[in-house]
Amino acid sequence: MADSLIAEGLEKYFNPETTAEVKAIEGTHAASYAAKLARVKVVSAYPITPQTTIVEKLSEMCASGEMEAEFIKVESEHSAMACVIGAESTGTRSFTATSSQGLALMHEELHWATGARLPVVMANVNRALGAPWNIWADQTDSLAQRDTGWIQCYAESNQEVLDMIIQAYRLAEIVMLPVMVNMDAFFLSHTTEPVALPKQELVDQFLPEYNPKYKMDINDPHAFGGLAKPDTYMELRYNIQKSMEDAHRLIPEVADEFEKVIGRNHGGLIEEYQTKDAEYLIVTSGTITGTSRIVVDQLRAQGLKLGLLKIRFFRPFPVKEVQSVLGKIKKIAVIDRNLSFGRCGIFFSELQAALYNCECRPLLNGYVAGLGGRDVTPKTIEKIVNHLIASEKGEDLIWMELNI
Amino acid sequence: MFGVSINNIIDIDQKYYSMEDYQGDVPRWCPGCGDNGILTAAQRLCREEQLPPEKTVFVSGIGCSSRFPHYMNTYGFHGLHGRALPIAEGVKIRRPDLHVFVNMGDGDCCSIGTAHWIHAIRFNMNMVVMMHDNGIYGLTKKQASPTSPKGTKSNTSPKGSYLDALNPTATTLGVQNVSFVAQAVEWIPELLYEIIRQAYKHKGFSFIRIMQRCPHYTPAMFDPLMSNPENLVMVTHENGMQMSDALKKVYKNVVTHDPSDMSQANYYANMTDKMPVGILYKNENVPCYEELRKPERTVTAKLKQEALEKEFDKFGIMPTE
Repeated sequence: MADSLIAEGLEKYFNPETTAEVKAIEGTHAASYAAKLARVKVVSAYPITPQTTIVEKLSEMCASGEMEAEFIKVESEHSAMACVIGAESTGTRSFTATSSQGLALMHEELHWATGARLPVVMANVNRALGAPWNIWADQTDSLAQRDTGWIQCYAESNQEVLDMIIQAYRLAEIVMLPVMVNMDAFFLSHTTEPVALPKQELVDQFLPEYNPKYKMDINDPHAFGGLAKPDTYMELRYNIQKSMEDAHRLIPEVADEFEKVIGRNHGGLIEEYQTKDAEYLIVTSGTITGTSRIVVDQLRAQGLKLGLLKIRFFRPFPVKEVQSVLGKIKKIAVIDRNLSFGRCGIFFSELQAALYNCECRPLLNGYVAGLGGRDVTPKTIEKIVNHLIASEKGEDLIWMELNI
Repeated sequence: MFGVSINNIIDIDQKYYSMEDYQGDVPRWCPGCGDNGILTAAQRLCREEQLPPEKTVFVSGIGCSSRFPHYMNTYGFHGLHGRALPIAEGVKIRRPDLHVFVNMGDGDCCSIGTAHWIHAIRFNMNMVVMMHDNGIYGLTKKQASPTSPKGTKSNTSPKGSYLDALNPTATTLGVQNVSFVAQAVEWIPELLYEIIRQAYKHKGFSFIRIMQRCPHYTPAMFDPLMSNPENLVMVTHENGMQMSDALKKVYKNVVTHDPSDMSQANYYANMTDKMPVGILYKNENVPCYEELRKPERTVTAKLKQEALEKEFDKFGIMPTE
């Protein structure tokens, strides 16, 4: 983070009036504390590196009585999601967490949570998928779940993980859609940062008790999981899309509301950094963003009009937000720590599609970097910027730091 | 075939495989880990039976135990969590000629892969299944597993686990088509080897639960068994496990049990005060799935060989006509 931001940020982040405690914790524990502050009542999970410490902390808090919740360690991730679906169906705020292979195993249930309109919130630690085995950072696991109907967001810092999860419950329970909060393996999950834990009464004020319209209740019986024939199924899908559109509108509102109560705002669907007069733009998500901020500051000091756009929400995709920023820009570099084989980086292709109907379409380059946890250093990002400046024609897929 | 001299072919035929020939990477298990003993027993079996490495496959899932294939200089498949058995079934159904071994942990077998375990017993394919049971998730660093004894304190059960442990041998015995169930402890290498050998000799799905020490996360779990040999019930029989006289001096609690007796097998599998070691159940008459469903191949290896030899004969042997 840039020096100016640190001075300004310290005050904003660790406001003593809203903060109960500032704790030096790793990203996984930020997720655990968020679930605790959200007063979840059921946690169901299965161990997988590098997620395990999220649920270990939660099980510890459940066992000590610090949290009034049931912790169930089930026999697989598929069961973990199914269990959370069951718990949510009874009108109970629930939480789970996973990573990579575990998320892939949940795939079937992810669709179900959406279709059943259950506002599950899950933390996912972005880790590469096998084969070959790799436990390090890569976003392809969550991006492969793109069409499951989950709202997806990507955190840059441990504080953002905590704040995002609390906001995710607020958002999910309004639009009745599940939310997946993503953090990069190890770069966030196992990195210790100071995190301000907001006061419980303020979180309670921001996040009211969960009381859904439909739940399993013997005094108000309903059937769940019925059959929808061709004459109704499509309308139900339409409703989900409408709720996604509502979420799009509500995400900045929820963020503003959170700011009013707790005092922090990480942005809406996107966050702009130094974009006002920018001619060149880097688009990032997750922890690459933090590194990119440094490069932007350094290159700006040398006179380059460079800006940064952080994509916080991938679903719903911030089409209009991106359009409004990019209109002023000449050239854009999208950095993806993920890949759709046979195409290109996934954020890139989404962004490219979002710009197709724009009148002003800047040059667009897609860079794939850091797959399977390879470091994306300031040097790599500088190389990307230099390549971008020299580009005369947009390229969809440019591999960075490839040893072949 | 060009460049291959007849001398080399003879050399291959006469090759004697030593223990070293089955050693792959240097094991990276913790010092004192029970997996090392299981590895040695498996390598010893391969040597004693002179299993050609290219005809031998070790399949595993995920967990400490599942690093096994890396340390065997045979074919290996480090599979997905819980999926070792269906992968092994896939190998076996197409290549029944291969010697298939499966290594999985208690998390792999009794948790995420339980459905596969139950159905693999029913398929009864000819393979040796070693379930390394240390009663804990070791690779993810100490979470209670289904076989953790009730009250186990772990990172997911800080006040102790709430449920009674799952009993893998009793469970296996309860499934249709069960054909071989044994229980071993890795700290008696002689019997571990003997049980694995019998499992290998048995035609069918040979399930061995191996009590395996985890010096890091469950160091005291097997103390009552190790400090007092009387707590181990040695289940022996002429058709089951046999013990040397020397061992009988240490492990005096020896019983005779005919492994074809299912109700007695259940009795031993369900013992709670003591730990039975030996072959609990064996039934040679259960059909193997790969044989029930053996595909009729028109072009067999034998036919191919005959055709090739006929062609070679045209060049190597003067035509008689």
